[in-house]
Amino acid sequence: MSEILKIQNLSKSFGKNRILQDFSVSLEKGRVYGLLGKNGEGKTTLIRMIMGVIPPDSGEIFFKGKKITFRDADYKKEIGYIPEESFFYVWMRIVDVLDFNASFYPAWNAKKASEYLERFSLDRKSRVGKLSRGMKLKLGLVVALAAKPELLILDDPTSGIDVPTRQDFLKNIIRELSDAGTTILFSTHLVHELERIIERLGILHHGHLILDENYEKVKNRAKRIRLTFGNTAPAELDIPGILTAKKENERWESVIYPWNEEIEAKIRSISGTRLEIEPLSLEEIFMSFVS
Amino acid sequence: MIKIETSSFIPIYEQIKKEIKSRISLGMLKRDEPLPSIRDLAAELIVNPNTVARAYRELEMEGFIYTRKGKGCFVADDSSSLISEERVKILNKIFDDAIEEAIKFDCAGAVIAKAFEERLRRAMKGKEKGKS
Repeated sequence: MSEILKIQNLSKSFGKNRILQDFSVSLEKGRVYGLLGKNGEGKTTLIRMIMGVIPPDSGEIFFKGKKITFRDADYKKEIGYIPEESFFYVWMRIVDVLDFNASFYPAWNAKKASEYLERFSLDRKSRVGKLSRGMKLKLGLVVALAAKPELLILDDPTSGIDVPTRQDFLKNIIRELSDAGTTILFSTHLVHELERIIERLGILHHGHLILDENYEKVKNRAKRIRLTFGNTAPAELDIPGILTAKKENERWESVIYPWNEEIEAKIRSISGTRLEIEPLSLEEIFMSFVS
Repeated sequence: MIKIETSSFIPIYEQIKKEIKSRISLGMLKRDEPLPSIRDLAAELIVNPNTVARAYRELEMEGFIYTRKGKGCFVADDSSSLISEERVKILNKIFDDAIEEAIKFDCAGAVIAKAFEERLRRAMKGKEKGKS
């Protein structure tokens, strides 16, 4: 495996407010990493540090094996960045936005930019100030992809965008993934977007990366159980890996991670009970970890 | 069109495999017919291209499809015979599960056999009626 981005022990506070603490993660080339976290958990702060917009308090970031220093600009030519709210000067026409961005990126692909404009039905002469939010997102995508980035960072870009536009956006991201093998860091609080695309999942909670694992493994290891007792249920469940648990009359319902055969054997050995095991959706997994 | 269900228990690549197999068995995909490219199918389903690649790789290993370098994947010649084998396998599994369940309820072998025969007879009658 080859790493494209590696973050080690990154910490950041704003005043007394600790946003990230000892955050470490590594992104494998050509893979899609989904970073989930509720709003205000530090996803954007992390991305802004990767993009060199703000400096970390401590810790290091490596892009393609090279350490990034704050205000370093060179490495950014290989990173495409689509923020939550794409920023373009309102007085520019789309064609000006493209020319302006082309000057920053040595690998700029003008042909690709034109293709995407056409696919998205964006008119070169339109002023940015007149574009809808969905159109601005598409323009952001055109800019990011024409720059032929090795790493594409998406920071909650589709929140507040209607479903067809979102799907169209994702389809194009996938085409890019197939064609260029771009690595993607997809940060979002909209879980449904990620479920079909991600290969590795990270959950950011209270400044810590509380989960960092292959997504398929996560899905296999997260289970909801319903344990019904013949008479009265015990006041506590003595099972390892309980994320959430609630008791209702003679039944315990619990989400367990990581699920394995030993745990299953242990539960089945509790006499006089009936056990049901269910898989969880990504949304349910996420909620179980952060609630 | 292939449909997948993200909330399902079954992994996405398995769902894709199953859908393609069922299309072959229904004759919707004929031998030597090309499958959609990994890129197109991934974009259409909005899934990771590696997921589609994995489904295709496994279908190839199981003999349902073949790859021609630079041209993509195609339905294999003997895919239909494989599909009938697959059908028998699925059928056997269903019966195994049902029998196991029946044994749990303490049913005698003769009772299980009788229940099965009755149902089969009824279903076949219904099918013939439907045809005429």
